[in-house]
Amino acid sequence: METAIQTPPVRLSRYIAQHKAEIALTIVCALVTVCINLVLPYIMRLAIDGLTAGTLTPTQLTHQILLYLGLTALTLWFARQLRRIPLRFSHQIEYDVRRDLFAHLTRLDQEFYRKERTGNLMTRMSSDLIVVRDAIGQGFLQGTRTVTALLFASVVMVWIAPELALLIFCLYLPIIIFFTVVLNVVRVRQKALQEQASDVSNFAQESFVGIRCIKGFALDRRRNRLFEELTGELARREVQLQTLRQLLWPLMAFWFGVGTLVLLYAGGRQVIAGTVSVGVVVQFLQYLLYLQWPLLSLSWMLSLLQRSKVCWERILEIFQSRPQITDTAETDFAIRELDGSIDWRDVSLELDGTSLLRDINLSVPSGKTIGITGPTGSGKTLLVSLAARLMDPTGGELYVGGHPVKTIPLDVLRRHIGFASQEPVLFSRTLEHNIAFGVAIPEEKIITWAADVAHLHGDVEEFPERYQTVLGERGVTLSGGQRQRTSISRAVARLPQILILDDVLSSVDTQTEAAIMSKLQPVMKNRTCLFVSHRASTLRYTDEIIVIEEGRITQRGTHDELIAQPGYYSELNRLQQLQQQLEEAQ
Amino acid sequence: MSAPGRKPKRGLAHRLLRYALPYRKSLLLSLVLILAVSASINYLPVLIQRLTDTCLLDSSAPGAVRLERLGRIGLLYLIIAFAGYSLRYLQGILTAWIGQRIVYDLRVDVFRKAMRMQQAWFDRMPVGTLLTRVTSDIERLQNFVTEGVVGTVADLFMLVGIMGYMLLISLRLSIILWILLPPLFTLLFFVNRKLRTANRMIRRRQSELNALLQEDLTGMTTIQLFNREAAARKEFDERNGLLREAHFEEVRWFSAYFPVIETGQAVAIAVILAAGGAWLLKGGNPLTLGALVAFLAYIRDFFRPLGSLSDKAGSFQVAMASAERIFELMDTPEEVADPDDPLPADRIDGAIAFEKVSFAYDGKTPVLKNISFTVEPGQVLAVVGATGAGKSTLINLVGRFYDVQEGRITIGGTDIRRFRKEELRKRIGYVFQDPFIFAGSVADNISLLNPDLTREDLVRAAQSVNADHFIRALPKGYDTLLNERGEGLSLGQKQLLAMARALAQNPELLFVLDEATANIDTATEMLIQDALGRLMKNRTSIVIAHRLSTIRHADRILVMRHGELIDSGTHDELMARAGYYRNLYELLRH
Repeated sequence: METAIQTPPVRLSRYIAQHKAEIALTIVCALVTVCINLVLPYIMRLAIDGLTAGTLTPTQLTHQILLYLGLTALTLWFARQLRRIPLRFSHQIEYDVRRDLFAHLTRLDQEFYRKERTGNLMTRMSSDLIVVRDAIGQGFLQGTRTVTALLFASVVMVWIAPELALLIFCLYLPIIIFFTVVLNVVRVRQKALQEQASDVSNFAQESFVGIRCIKGFALDRRRNRLFEELTGELARREVQLQTLRQLLWPLMAFWFGVGTLVLLYAGGRQVIAGTVSVGVVVQFLQYLLYLQWPLLSLSWMLSLLQRSKVCWERILEIFQSRPQITDTAETDFAIRELDGSIDWRDVSLELDGTSLLRDINLSVPSGKTIGITGPTGSGKTLLVSLAARLMDPTGGELYVGGHPVKTIPLDVLRRHIGFASQEPVLFSRTLEHNIAFGVAIPEEKIITWAADVAHLHGDVEEFPERYQTVLGERGVTLSGGQRQRTSISRAVARLPQILILDDVLSSVDTQTEAAIMSKLQPVMKNRTCLFVSHRASTLRYTDEIIVIEEGRITQRGTHDELIAQPGYYSELNRLQQLQQQLEEAQ
Repeated sequence: MSAPGRKPKRGLAHRLLRYALPYRKSLLLSLVLILAVSASINYLPVLIQRLTDTCLLDSSAPGAVRLERLGRIGLLYLIIAFAGYSLRYLQGILTAWIGQRIVYDLRVDVFRKAMRMQQAWFDRMPVGTLLTRVTSDIERLQNFVTEGVVGTVADLFMLVGIMGYMLLISLRLSIILWILLPPLFTLLFFVNRKLRTANRMIRRRQSELNALLQEDLTGMTTIQLFNREAAARKEFDERNGLLREAHFEEVRWFSAYFPVIETGQAVAIAVILAAGGAWLLKGGNPLTLGALVAFLAYIRDFFRPLGSLSDKAGSFQVAMASAERIFELMDTPEEVADPDDPLPADRIDGAIAFEKVSFAYDGKTPVLKNISFTVEPGQVLAVVGATGAGKSTLINLVGRFYDVQEGRITIGGTDIRRFRKEELRKRIGYVFQDPFIFAGSVADNISLLNPDLTREDLVRAAQSVNADHFIRALPKGYDTLLNERGEGLSLGQKQLLAMARALAQNPELLFVLDEATANIDTATEMLIQDALGRLMKNRTSIVIAHRLSTIRHADRILVMRHGELIDSGTHDELMARAGYYRNLYELLRH
């Protein structure tokens, strides 16, 4: 039920706050893992010192080894949870945000979809959301681990051997700074590479789409050469990126090697001097090893957080779009049923500063059929769209069933309307699903009846799985005429009070047109019907016809009245007769 | 299409190898580098062992000697480490470079092949599929070449290097470690396979979710009109939930991956410590404490290539599937081919004649039936008829977008199939009803990047077809950038641009698809009519005509109906006959 809900502003923190317990658990796991990882080298040190001094008994060694193995087994579980918990809830948040985004999108009106490109919305709901999710998951995983590891390791190292600890910090500082810088440059180059890749892809796409033009003007060689240039540049940029990226690992490994050496040298001097034991040096070597990942991931994490901020803002933009067409304080929820009368009173419509409809005064009593015609782009579709409240008029007032349209709850209004358009959107599901799209409880009887009204039943019989046939790429591809007829079936299957047929027979040949009209007529008889058409042969069945030219009603009357007077309609009629003669002529 | 006798995988590998062949020297160098890297980097723990044994532990030697040894070994360590990692870096860049070269060659070959294919093939092939061949399929192969093949070789040599040095240090410890390996590798491989399966599932469910999302976003108005919002949300939630489950499954195995490696390392360390410690305690064998420390270092190095090797096993299949698709495209026969011994281009001259031509796009439903006619040089021929009469097919056949199935088309008495396509098409100019606009400047769209055309030529061409005026009114005139949809230009302007384009190429033959188009304002319509007249002047032209002015000024008119030629003559002759043409003409007057 669509009600005027005032939703509080969407915040990422609200989504994260739902996982307080998991966050606490993550921290516990990080603490345990880090502590165990700091204790393990200590056991190793005990063993080595014992071995050097020759004081170690086999039983002690066995104990130490068993302790080592036991702690390792314990850390296996905690280390796994440390990853599992934050990653899991990051996916849960991704799911929640995506669900809420989609729910919000179902409430936005046609105006929003006119301005936003589908591809753009898709990007926000997939790749942008994925960056945000990764930032949450990796953020909590790496963040807690890095902070605890750094904190605890520092304390332990300073406590054991302050000079060696200082040495390790001095070794890591420059490499972290260097990594941050290199990663930034890598990102810049990566972006340049992606741009070039999309240039190559666009060029290839253009070549395939424009193949006729290319072949027609014998441009193949020129296109090939351009493609070689673009691809060559792509390869060059990839190598450029790799010269940096390939640097990262060897550099890190080398630096670690240097670190080991420095530690051994400094530690070695102390060992020789007798101030520390060999075991301490080995213990520190293990710390050096343990700290390298958390520290290096720091620079990567920072950049991920930055990117995710931008992505989240782009997602927020969708949440912040508000529909114009929605239930408001004016809405009278007491209205449950409507009769089919429609009144346009002084209605005008402007879009982006262009006046599209002017001075529309039209009253359609319940149960009457009105024909609407006029040149392409004169405003016919807009006129009928107003009745279904796909947009609101910018001037004047529209009444449906005697109520101002804005006071009718949106879902009540739409429940009374069956709408079929010239270029209908069908869904790649079964035919049955598409015909029963607006029916609460789909019954086979209704579906076959609706298909029969649109003269579709015969076609369906020839489909591999009749009404269970899937439409679209994975199933049957319908012709333009079949699509239009499916859309008529979909509209009449609702048994609506008001039937809106917007040029739905334009892709249907004359014979089928006659067959559909004969079946459609009885259906139209009991309902209010807005019938947009370009053909006099179908318009003649309506109670009244209006002609719209450049946003105004220029002619109105019955078929017979209109062919008697000069104007758009009589001209349309004459041309169509001529065309018919041409088709019939041997 | 599954060609008979589909080539086995060995054939694929062989063909891929052929692309690597030109770079065999670089590849060899890369291999040498890999060997050098493995030998040098893996030598470092040996130095650590020496350092531990001779400096730290040898308490028999005086302190000064030990310090001197410490400095010497340290320096050696530094030099070898620097050399080793520098070589490693060089090898990385070299490999990336080789991979890029191979991919470049492959991509260019695929693109060239696609461009050689006949129009009928493009009619069937969705652009998205084609695009996948030159982009993601190629990228997968690139990953395979650089990271897959070279990476595997490098990893293997690293392992061999480590094992060699381990043997050098202690045979016993090596054997103990190697016994631990098979179960660990099996475990890693198992986790990896689970991870791959989970990732495949994620990709599939993500694309299913995207498909639904795309459709719902496109059809949101329909959903709202039919009160389906709640149902749509429910469907979306289901797929969204399925994707989440797939992610959870991935997390399940991903979270195990590193802990398994770490635990494996720890277990190995513990076992080595236990065994080494026990031997040390027993005494009287050659194992030193330094050797034990070095071994601990090797264990760490050992697990990195091991993990990445088990990673790579899966990418092989993906890459082979891509390779198969790519080579399938490469093997598609080209139907409208150049002749083996083409006639010289200067013979493309004289009357165009259709001799008993029949044609069907699908090979079954004939679109042209036994058509014969001749256009003399310099003549303007207009073809009229209802939609679907087969008019534009005539033009498609002369430009050899398709080849005739029966009869033949000749120019100056020679079958057009005896000429090279490029030579033939160079002499033809086309004006399509919905002209294709290339992403680029207006000038480039007229010149089509023909290097022989100067800016003056372009302007002159634009002027003579009345296009100069509106082009100059564009923000940057002739240098205004257009996108591939030609946004910012009206259909009428696009048609004028297409005429300027055709005129600038100065073709001897001209074909115009002159569909009367809605939404062109009267002023532009006048400009187009005028331009058409000038374009056709003194040029052999075939015009698919809808504009009366064009029809009336034609030297001859062909009347077509359902793929057959039913009448021909001048306008006056045809009007006098009071037949199909006269009715058609009446209709066109409006």
